[in-house]
Amino acid sequence: MLSYNHQICEIRHNCFSLLTLNEMGPITMTKKYETEAPGYTMTTVMEEAARCLLCHDAPCSAACPAHTDPAKFIRSVRFRNVKGAAETIRENNALGAICARVCPTEKYCELACSRSGIDVPIDIGGIQRYVTDFEQADDMHILHKGDSNGMHIAIIGSGPAGLQAATTLLEKGYSVDIYEKNAKAGGYLTYGIPEYRLPSNIVDYEIKRITDMGANIHFNTIIGKDMTMDQLKAENDAVIVAIGASEAKMLPMFENNDAVETAVSFLARTKQAKGNIDLPDNALVIGGGDVAMDVVTTLKKLGVEHVTDAVYEQFDEFRASKKELAGAEREGVTIIDGYVPESVNGHTVTLKHRHINSEMTIEADTIILAIGQETNAKNLGIKLEHGEAPSAGYKTHDPKVFITGDIAQGDKTVVYAVQKGKEVAGEIDSILGGNRDDQ
Amino acid sequence: MINKDISIDFLGVHFENPFCLSSSPVGNCYEMCAKAFDEGWGGIVFKTIGPEDFEVDEVSPRFDELTKEATPFVAFKNMEQIAEHPLKQNLADLKKLKENYPDKVVIASIMGPTEKDWEELARLVTEAGAEMIEMNLSCPQMTSHAMGSDVGSNPPLVKKYCEAVKRGSDLPMMAKMTPNITDMVPAAKAALAGGADGIATINTVKSIANVDLERKTALPIVNGKSSVSGLSGKAVKPIALRFIQQLRVASGLEQLPISGIGGIETWEDAVEFILMGSTTLQVTTAVMQYGYRIVEDMKNGLMHYMEEQGVKHLSDLVGLANKNIVPAEDLDRNYKMYPEIDWDKCIGCGRCFISCYDGAHQAISWDEKTRRPSIDTSKCVGCHLCALVCPVHAIHPGKIVMKEGREGDPSKIDVVSQRLY
Repeated sequence: MLSYNHQICEIRHNCFSLLTLNEMGPITMTKKYETEAPGYTMTTVMEEAARCLLCHDAPCSAACPAHTDPAKFIRSVRFRNVKGAAETIRENNALGAICARVCPTEKYCELACSRSGIDVPIDIGGIQRYVTDFEQADDMHILHKGDSNGMHIAIIGSGPAGLQAATTLLEKGYSVDIYEKNAKAGGYLTYGIPEYRLPSNIVDYEIKRITDMGANIHFNTIIGKDMTMDQLKAENDAVIVAIGASEAKMLPMFENNDAVETAVSFLARTKQAKGNIDLPDNALVIGGGDVAMDVVTTLKKLGVEHVTDAVYEQFDEFRASKKELAGAEREGVTIIDGYVPESVNGHTVTLKHRHINSEMTIEADTIILAIGQETNAKNLGIKLEHGEAPSAGYKTHDPKVFITGDIAQGDKTVVYAVQKGKEVAGEIDSILGGNRDDQ
Repeated sequence: MINKDISIDFLGVHFENPFCLSSSPVGNCYEMCAKAFDEGWGGIVFKTIGPEDFEVDEVSPRFDELTKEATPFVAFKNMEQIAEHPLKQNLADLKKLKENYPDKVVIASIMGPTEKDWEELARLVTEAGAEMIEMNLSCPQMTSHAMGSDVGSNPPLVKKYCEAVKRGSDLPMMAKMTPNITDMVPAAKAALAGGADGIATINTVKSIANVDLERKTALPIVNGKSSVSGLSGKAVKPIALRFIQQLRVASGLEQLPISGIGGIETWEDAVEFILMGSTTLQVTTAVMQYGYRIVEDMKNGLMHYMEEQGVKHLSDLVGLANKNIVPAEDLDRNYKMYPEIDWDKCIGCGRCFISCYDGAHQAISWDEKTRRPSIDTSKCVGCHLCALVCPVHAIHPGKIVMKEGREGDPSKIDVVSQRLY
């Protein structure tokens, strides 16, 4: 067995391998798409942890929707207890390594960070990534299935909310079956977020931890088509619907146009092909959220020379996280803010400014729409309004059926999905009783 | 979260974990010690209790810190003396602590200027319910020269006072030693001869941490003047470890029970003190800087270390390093080991070149074009200063060669360190 200290050296070594990528000769464009930014080393993570003020009533921890408790894991790093830090993250967040990479921390923990009173907040996501990389390299097994309580739960959808709900339920002793319509688990984590931001192997590791605990995933299975909801209800003590919003929205003017693709489709096929796709010479992207930033940054990283992003919001009201916007700008994306598409004719889109008298016409090889997603809850017997439950919480009119994730009210980020996954599991456990001696 | 038994027995007393507050400002009253117990400490050494008529009259301010680059508390200087609360209140606090925390260990630290005082204090703290006594023979900032480190560096006096304490109490007793002495062995032996059951060490190191360049006095400034007083914190750890090692290998002191003190703030520090022969550990400075909560990571980290090492009982680790620290003349001087540069990690800063030229043997040359160092083995003596200064840890142990005319198999030479950078 490699020793603890040795493991840390190994991680450090791997990170430096990434650092020197530039010196390894010409970089292929797919390499740029596939390569994650370098992470901390033991030395640099200690430097960052030493910047932390170790607040008494840490506002970062209070601001984390998933209760990942950054104050505690950063303190553990500061006191050179990386294993303890990993335990804190993992026990609070089954997708700790994923959140470390994709969480818009600037809106949560880092927004709350006291260090901002001095200069800039602690890089909490970066420290979390170091710790979860350590956890993986050291092959730590932190979570375990609880003693079986004989009860069964079915979860529809293996996105972040479904995965977290499964983990919490497994810990409490339930057996869990997850029904996934696709060939792979993870939902948007697997089919959406680009490789440079969230490497597939990280998602695979996180899912394997959960299947190792005992989650049973049924792939290529659509409830309402391959199996009925009634069947699931009959076979399980409760059913959780965690189907997310996986279908792309379309504007009527772009329908039936060969030049148009949705962001959902583009990101999915690019990720599955590891970046090996046919590329246009130029592209126009419509949308200004994180998904739009993923699309434009991916296009640039793959080598598309002219990428223009037309965004409904002006810069002062931008929806994408600052980090993702900065990434797009770094890649050289042209961003036109405050414009909405007025009309389209083949490859030519006419855009109009929302407030000032300005109109422009852009011709593009490819037009990609990143204007939001919607939910397909056909034959599941649940009521949704605008893709969301009509009331707060996780219950439905059917006492056996619960909802969670993006279709439950609240923010639509991975970290919120984790919170909602934990909460729906807790609610079901309080209703079903679980293991009596746990209470 | 990992959960392992890290309990240990010391002088016949069971500690649920080895971590104790040392006798200092961090254990000054019932509320403080109770909070420390609530947050997970295994024992407390209550702030030293003196005789009723000894008046504690403190200065303000009374602390100073040594820094390096941006790191605070590299060392901490303290002018505070013993507990300032009335004797009666201190005894009442001890009693209440033991009543409310029966599974934790309450240790009374005492100090007096006469044999009679020592004996009386020992009797009083025993009546109050303390389970162990620590004799403070080592505080370097007392206003009375009849107490503190002046006593601890005088072995006949140490013996006499230990005997007095043993007359006053049959509790297990440790004598707390001062490091302000060349050799601790005579004082420790005198303590044992006087009836001490174990040793606690080190107390603080006499110091001046900083001098104010305008006021021309040391810090902290007390109405224009300052004094020599005790230094603690990370910087004294190496001094503490050397004293503990030298006690544990002194003839007649093998297996000496020790409560280790000196700059402990992480689980790694704790393990180092245990490997060097400490059974329990005492902490103050890191608590003053960060609070009692640091015990969480010390305990958790220690559990992971034991798990990784396959160690079932913490006591199995005590003193494991003692035999591997030998007199300088007994070290293997037949070989040298060259450093090796990992080019994937080297960022071309040239720090190794500068240090080798200016601080070692001019064995590294610098290519100004490629901005990379190279090592000339004909000049390199294998000191590895370059590895220590490298900011990205790109320099590792490399090839081992026997010195000219010496016998030996380089492949059998053990130089691997897994010390965390």
